[in-house]
Amino acid sequence: MSTSVKGGGKRVEGNANLPSTLHASPSAYALLLVRLLIGGVLLYAGFAKALAPAAEFAAAMANYHLFPSSGLLPMAWIIPWIEIWTGLFLIAGLYTQAAAAVASGLFVSFLAVMASALWRHIDLASCGCFGAETFSPHTTFKIDIGLLLLSLLLTYCYRRTWPFTVDHKVD
Amino acid sequence: MHVMKLKKVHIAMLLVIIPVILVLVIKNYTAYGPLLATPTARQEGDSHAKVTIVEYSDFQCPMCARIQPFTKELLRTYQGKVRLYFKYYPLTMIHKNAMTAAHAAECAARQNKFWPYGEKLFERQKEWSPLLDATTHYMAIAKDVQLNESSFQACMADASVDLLIQSDSQEAQARGVNATPTLFVNDERLVGGVFESEGARTIERELRR
Repeated sequence: MSTSVKGGGKRVEGNANLPSTLHASPSAYALLLVRLLIGGVLLYAGFAKALAPAAEFAAAMANYHLFPSSGLLPMAWIIPWIEIWTGLFLIAGLYTQAAAAVASGLFVSFLAVMASALWRHIDLASCGCFGAETFSPHTTFKIDIGLLLLSLLLTYCYRRTWPFTVDHKVD
Repeated sequence: MHVMKLKKVHIAMLLVIIPVILVLVIKNYTAYGPLLATPTARQEGDSHAKVTIVEYSDFQCPMCARIQPFTKELLRTYQGKVRLYFKYYPLTMIHKNAMTAAHAAECAARQNKFWPYGEKLFERQKEWSPLLDATTHYMAIAKDVQLNESSFQACMADASVDLLIQSDSQEAQARGVNATPTLFVNDERLVGGVFESEGARTIERELRR
């Protein structure tokens, strides 16, 4: 005999001490995968930029001709850390909905900047997205759209607590 | 409940602090790769200068073209104090003529005309960049800067020139260069437009050391 628990998992009565993750539903596993994917991408992108000199990312942003030059270096310092922390929080499942919302915000910003560059036919030597890795603006645009949709899905689903998250363990 | 919330905040603080420590440690132990010799034809400025600028550049990159007048101005301003070394870093994945342009510039370097030839390549970048085959433009520039045309043509057919360009690119990669233009002012790395805003300040700082 079993009862439903929040997050779509099933808890077997009489075995309340068993970790609830043992009874997680396929949806919970799917959401975990999506979190790992988005968190992994953000973590990789953030570390790639944080490990390189900030001037490098600042130069990549300068190519978009969108931001004032005085703001380039501060942005180049801050953005990689927002990516790293958002990625880590998503992977860990800590403040998951907030992290997913921040991730959505990041992808919306990246898409807007990229769309503006494509619209103005700017020749981007590097999109600045993943440090040393260079993707064409069109490829980056498609990747970002996919990631935005997935992070919006996470923001919606994590209105409540799901298994495989620190939120689930601690709340 | 309060204890649980506190626990959550502690975990969050750990997640914030750990990557910062990790990045600081990795950056501390990461050294730039070695700087190889540059042919004299691709050097400009006083050989005993206190400050050296090593420029990794791509003739088809718009930002590389944009900083050229600024670089020349810096060399004039800091005459005797700064020496510039030019290194090839053609971004062949996104610039289809970058390699052939670098090849042409190296052929000019072999006739000791690298600087005037490179300057014209950058000036006329918009004309030859979109072409499928820019050879006629390379030849025209060779004529303009009074290169020996037959030697230039023979050099253009010499595949070993590409190896030299590739060795510059490999050196760049070993030094963590992944965008153009990247300039090292002594050991300070400046990329793209940042060189325009920070170049003079960095030179001044290096001169004071």
